[in-house]
Amino acid sequence: MANSRSELGTIIRGVARDPLGLSGLIIVGMIVLSALLASWITPYDPVAINIKDRMQGPSLTHLLGTDQLGRDTFSRVIMGGQVALKVALPAVFGAMAIGLTLGMLAGYGPKWLDNFLILIFDTIRSFPTVMFALAVVALVGPSLQTVVFVVMATSIPTYGRVARTQTLTLRNSEFILAERSMGASMARILGVHMLPNIIGVLAVLAAMDIPTVIALEAGLSFLGLGVKPPTPSWGALLKDGYALIRQTPWLVVGGGLPIIFATLGFTFLGESLRDVIDPKLRKNR
Amino acid sequence: MSLLSVENLKTSFGSVNVLAGVSFKVKPGETYALVGESGSGKTTVIRAIAGLAPAQEGSVKFAGQEIRGLPERALRPLRKDISMMFQDPVGSLSPRLTIGSLITEPYRIQGMKERDLDAEARRLLQMVNLPAHFVDRYPYQLSGGQARRVGVARALALEPKLILADEPTAGLDVSVQGELLNLLNDLRERLGLAMVIITHNLNVVRHVADRMGILYLGRLVEEGTTHDIFETPRHPYTRCLLSANPEPDPDARLNRIALKGEPPSLLNRPAGCEFRERCPFAQEICVQIPQWEVQDGHGLRCIAPLTPEVTA
Amino acid sequence: MTETLLEIDNLSVVYETSRGDLKALRDITFDIRRGEIVGIVGESGCGKSTLISSILRLTAPNMRFRNGEVRFKGDNLLMASNRQMRDLRGSDISIVFQDPMQTHNPVISIGQQMVDIQHRSSASVREKRARAAKMLGFVGIPDPEARLNQFPHEFSGGMRQRIAIAMALMSEPDLLIADEPTTALDATLEVQIIERLQELQREMHCAILFISHHLGVIAELCDRVVVMYAGAVVESGDVREIFHNPKHPYTRRLIECDPGHFKERARVLPTIPGEVPDLADLPGGCIFRDRCDRAMPRCASDVPPLETLKEGHRAACWLNHEEVPA
Repeated sequence: MANSRSELGTIIRGVARDPLGLSGLIIVGMIVLSALLASWITPYDPVAINIKDRMQGPSLTHLLGTDQLGRDTFSRVIMGGQVALKVALPAVFGAMAIGLTLGMLAGYGPKWLDNFLILIFDTIRSFPTVMFALAVVALVGPSLQTVVFVVMATSIPTYGRVARTQTLTLRNSEFILAERSMGASMARILGVHMLPNIIGVLAVLAAMDIPTVIALEAGLSFLGLGVKPPTPSWGALLKDGYALIRQTPWLVVGGGLPIIFATLGFTFLGESLRDVIDPKLRKNR
Repeated sequence: MSLLSVENLKTSFGSVNVLAGVSFKVKPGETYALVGESGSGKTTVIRAIAGLAPAQEGSVKFAGQEIRGLPERALRPLRKDISMMFQDPVGSLSPRLTIGSLITEPYRIQGMKERDLDAEARRLLQMVNLPAHFVDRYPYQLSGGQARRVGVARALALEPKLILADEPTAGLDVSVQGELLNLLNDLRERLGLAMVIITHNLNVVRHVADRMGILYLGRLVEEGTTHDIFETPRHPYTRCLLSANPEPDPDARLNRIALKGEPPSLLNRPAGCEFRERCPFAQEICVQIPQWEVQDGHGLRCIAPLTPEVTA
Repeated sequence: MTETLLEIDNLSVVYETSRGDLKALRDITFDIRRGEIVGIVGESGCGKSTLISSILRLTAPNMRFRNGEVRFKGDNLLMASNRQMRDLRGSDISIVFQDPMQTHNPVISIGQQMVDIQHRSSASVREKRARAAKMLGFVGIPDPEARLNQFPHEFSGGMRQRIAIAMALMSEPDLLIADEPTTALDATLEVQIIERLQELQREMHCAILFISHHLGVIAELCDRVVVMYAGAVVESGDVREIFHNPKHPYTRRLIECDPGHFKERARVLPTIPGEVPDLADLPGGCIFRDRCDRAMPRCASDVPPLETLKEGHRAACWLNHEEVPA
């Protein structure tokens, strides 16, 4: 079968060679690492309340100061990264997997299925995300899972449409015709022959989508529709910091700066990935 | 008994009649060439036989069994016996699979997992004179000729009785065309294969085909043994085709018979003899629709066929 | 003796790649005189695309001119400014490509495209349209005035190629480069286009550089022939000489392999076994050595020079040294 491990290696090397891609890789690497090790590297317990030390500015003991309940902002920022990824990664990859499958079926299957799925995609897309979030939260209450679900559901059409277009393009290629002439089933054609050729484009989309999703989660948390307090999230930090901005601007910094970095990092990575994968796609076609 | 029997095959896409009734037979071990230019419908014929293109009317019988219009599930077991080769040598190979995987696809599709696929891959590569280490290569790393041979190997994997080949020498340099044709001839003899080759290259036909049919606008206009057609072509279109191949000799006598104009649009089929407007030998009686007549194994659809003196 | 229009003089071009230099053209030398039709015969990898890019200076970013000159009417094009090249392209030197579908802008009418080409002329739009219609008639498009308003997709492949030729000849160029113009067309269309090209050439006296691997077409159309293999010129000369008296094994084998060569069904067709060598990793000595049926020990170590064997006929092969007395 296709040697995916060495191909992945080639792609990563290609990205690392590009200065923008390399910075993207480093930033994303740091975020992922700090998210993984969050429980061990936070200097304080992010939810520990300590009224005595509230509203302090940055110091050697509290790198970004404390908030109105005396919680260490820096620790909350780090844990917030873990929360951000806990939402973004399942949501994006879940949306990608579902969107890919539905998109391939729409592009390759019978016309009625295509029409039906397009209808679904367009319906979902026409729903404003915040309204949808409000509705879901009203039904099941705010939580991490709710946010993941909302974000995943609203992202599916993006992947679905791209997968569909790619499938439609490749559907009449000679190699697909050749597989059909050998009697390959639809499942085989989609899984073995279509999928590897369109996953690259979707991966780039996913990389660029992660910062959007992180911002979305932050936005929902800011509105109180996201993760429940006291779970730290960058959006929650922004929410608290917004109200307290005159007393201490450091909460807003702590909430906002990581979002900016994450967006930059993933976007650089995504663009570099696209440049690396694109010529490969063109060559292989 | 014919291995493949196509009778009055008709295909339309919307209001466009691509095939207006094609009939021919292929015996086991025989090579039949369908010759035609763009718009003749030759690609549609072969795809219709393989069940990859629709055919609204007519009959396609393989080993006596009717296969036109069969659902995919019923066709699948037959795909062991009928395999196809496609025009684009590299493009017909799935780009992300290794050559080894590609040529053993037929086994996997037919559920023959118990075979030693590695060994089969090597055996097939050897059959087409490609080195064994090619199992790990990817299609984009192959030259046109090599990719073409992989296509042959794949078509032979399950020991079919019939191969449908779409322009087998397209895209190949002249210096390697011979290699492929020799390979096909050799394999044909060894394995007793029947082949239907579609092409517009008459030179290829001369060297591999036993019998040939000339297609024009979705209908056969002439059919016979290769020898007969080349020696005594009777349809003006055949004559034009034969003369359209310049020899690699600057002093060759040019007895070219030039065709007028372009092939008519399929939406606007001419009345009477469909070739009339372009025929350099058209006469008044050609406003009548010519019928298909067979004489001594030589089929012809022409009211005013060429006599041997003219074709000399 | 007609004057020389285009002179390629020891042209060497490489592509810089991660695997090293791809020596796409090595010491290419030949010339084209005014009004002459010169054919380049070559198979995949012979360097003809690079040659065209070099003449027109439409270069890829990793292309490097290592040596040599491309002289057009005496001026070295490799030294010309971008502006000078732009002025030349489409006026003094025109080109027709292989794929008729890629040449035309699909959203602009043919008439508009043919008027746009005449942008250097100061004639009125009506005059330009009239010229365009006349040119279309010249290449055999029926009812040209009406068809000026149609779009490329409304024409068949054969017609589009004829339009491409009409467009290329509108400026009455000194040199027309035709890159495999008939390869994508059916044989009956091919012969129509070739005959049309011959007529037009007689009318307009332009020189044609005709690139193809169809030996029959080359034999019919060209006055002189240049045979290229893997980036080098292996033989060049008058068309009769080349076809009747080839002096390079590749030329000879190529003619023998051409299916049009045979009158009868052959049991086994001749072929040139092997593959074109890797241009980034050239073998020593003669470039054709490992596929040649008459290679000698000397062929492995020394590159045979392209030398004149008799008036106008050159070949690069050590076998010719064997035949010529010391």
